[in-house]
Amino acid sequence: MALPQTVGVPAVRARASLWRRARTREAATALLFLLPLFVLVVALIFYPVYRAVWLSLTDKLVGYPERFVGLRNYAYLAQDDTFHAVIRNSLVFTVGSVGLKIVTGVLMALVLNNVIRGRNFFRGLFLLPWITSTVIIALTWRWMFDAFPGRGFFNSVLLDLGVMSRPKAFMASPEGAMMAVVVANWWRGFPFFGVSFLAGMASIPRELYEAAAVDGAAAWRRFWHVTLPGLKHVMIVTTLLSFILTINDFNIVYVMTRGGPGTATQIFATYSYQVAFGQLRWGRGVTISLFVVPILVLGIVLISRYLLRDRK
Amino acid sequence: MLDSPISRRSLLAGAVGASALLTLPRPAAPAVKKGTSLKLWILKTYVEPTNKAIEASAQRWAQKNGASVSVEYFTFEDMQTKYVAAIESNSTPDIGQLETSAPARFAGMGQLIDLTTFARQIEGQVGKAPANVSAVTMVGDKIYSLPWYVMGGFWYVWRDVFEKAKVKLPTTFEEAKQAAAALNRPKDNFYGMGQSWNRTSDGYGVMQSLMYSYGVGWAGKDGKYKSLKTPAMQTVMKWATDIYKDGIQPADTLTWTGSGNNENFIAKNIAQTSNGPSITFALENALAKATDAKDRKAKEEALANHVALPHPAGPDGRRMWAIAMSFGIFKNSKDPEAAMSLIAHLLSPEETVAVMKDSYGQFGPVLDKARAASKDYFNKNDNYRTFGRAAEWFAPTGWPGPTTAAAAEVQASNVLTDAPAKVIVDKWSVDQAIDWEDKKIKEIYDTLKG
Repeated sequence: MALPQTVGVPAVRARASLWRRARTREAATALLFLLPLFVLVVALIFYPVYRAVWLSLTDKLVGYPERFVGLRNYAYLAQDDTFHAVIRNSLVFTVGSVGLKIVTGVLMALVLNNVIRGRNFFRGLFLLPWITSTVIIALTWRWMFDAFPGRGFFNSVLLDLGVMSRPKAFMASPEGAMMAVVVANWWRGFPFFGVSFLAGMASIPRELYEAAAVDGAAAWRRFWHVTLPGLKHVMIVTTLLSFILTINDFNIVYVMTRGGPGTATQIFATYSYQVAFGQLRWGRGVTISLFVVPILVLGIVLISRYLLRDRK
Repeated sequence: MLDSPISRRSLLAGAVGASALLTLPRPAAPAVKKGTSLKLWILKTYVEPTNKAIEASAQRWAQKNGASVSVEYFTFEDMQTKYVAAIESNSTPDIGQLETSAPARFAGMGQLIDLTTFARQIEGQVGKAPANVSAVTMVGDKIYSLPWYVMGGFWYVWRDVFEKAKVKLPTTFEEAKQAAAALNRPKDNFYGMGQSWNRTSDGYGVMQSLMYSYGVGWAGKDGKYKSLKTPAMQTVMKWATDIYKDGIQPADTLTWTGSGNNENFIAKNIAQTSNGPSITFALENALAKATDAKDRKAKEEALANHVALPHPAGPDGRRMWAIAMSFGIFKNSKDPEAAMSLIAHLLSPEETVAVMKDSYGQFGPVLDKARAASKDYFNKNDNYRTFGRAAEWFAPTGWPGPTTAAAAEVQASNVLTDAPAKVIVDKWSVDQAIDWEDKKIKEIYDTLKG
């Protein structure tokens, strides 16, 4: 016998309504919890980015109201010879520093991975440059490259050893100054790579090494075919993060060379600072900083897609 | 026609009364309400006692008026950053100490109160500054800040080194270069000169002194752009770059930061350099801290042998760019009257001299009453006599024209020192560098028109 449908309908409707109300309450609670995060994201990420993009489209001078000028700042920088040098310098500084950090980071991780006793001690020791104030690091390296014997570390040592007869002004040439800031940046950043790679190495299954050893693979082949592929994801993420931090670096170059000699070490952040705070041209200063964003966004998108594809 | 005729007696009495009123000294500074609170920003120089003395002077005013003053410092390094941040966030102080180009820049932004009437009002009390100095405090015929002192750049030399080599103390840039060649001993790591074209006032300041002394300016008397492509500028650029080519300077001179020349001069690695009196301060201070008789003797000798000469002259005269400090009142000040009263207090000859006495010669008063009161102080020795004349040789940014926002930006953009660096580092020709510099300067003047 079929149940009279009319009897069950109100009950079902009531249950559905209760369920809907519960869902609505849940959604409202979720939204309430998400609201602070939403406000933070809008206030701390979207608004500053929007403001920066807007300022780059204006002729904003400190103390004056901004006026919309379209892409004039971009057009100016596109034909500014100093800015061309800034792009070159920033890329050399970033690629040089990050490249060195990768190589020494891998070496550091390999050494620490094979140290059985005192591994934590050495890990802490290697982290010292990472936790030291950047300004102190920059001043220290500046002192080490100083040209005067008795004051500059390298000159004093090389003269005492008889390797040179006259002191060398390491930071007086464009190449030397760039080398000095790259070295300081590398020294500060390589422990981050080392510790990250060490964590990556710990996650590579031992069996892979054992199997490779049984197959007769020497240490170098084990490194090339097991360690490096195992570290691929960590390396990509670390390199990307370091690339972003290095290309936006300010302290080391500002303290060590102020962008000199001439414009030999002027990079995005230092040039942006000079234009925005020295020349008071905020619109143009912000534009200098924004020029690097498309490069970074492209890099992030490509690497993210690559990582996601690998995971699938 | 008057309803009631004025008697001769009442007319005379009125005239006498009016004359008496006119001759009475007008109030030097506005009255201060009890409990007033002011924010004062001052420059923190390398000479710490000067900083303390200024702060103490401000506190004396506060005590006398039942007010309070909170003093905040900025350094040479963060001066611009601090003011820029304050202007953009509407958190400027009541009173700010302003460097050479700041009054023109900030007045142009509408940040400073017009102090023309106040300046005239206190002129009788504090005196007047020479025209070359007061020019930096004015925009058009309006006064936006009140000048206090000039921190000059002088030509430091080691007298014993010159005497030993029988070389004449230089009075011109050319003589300085010749002396450097004669005194140069690179094998002993001793060099004839140390002049960096860096991004500090030791770089762009000296470059301006050099240019102005050769009669070269990038602006005319009207403050408008003027081309730099002249034979005189070629001579300037040649001097600026020859000193690097001839090996008469340490190889790393171009990379020195603000303290590089001080350190190398005091360490006796170089025979001559341009610097403010902070070198004298360092040597006097070192002597005061001597540990034993031998150390004391060495430091006494160093102090006696270091000479601060007037900055070298050029074919067009002796013109010295310097840091000219003045006081301005920001438009956001809650109590401009009290701010004026504090400025009048700081600028008074008594307070100026009190601060100056703790400055080791760095503080060259510019107001004539304070200059008159400081004659004894600057008679201490030859170096101090030279320091005392800083205001005489002062030439402002943008000479021979007024200091304008565009002139200030030329200095801030570093083109003045980047141009010789292009010749020294990038091996450009002198003409190429001048063309580049001229183009950059013209661009600045063109874009600041609107």
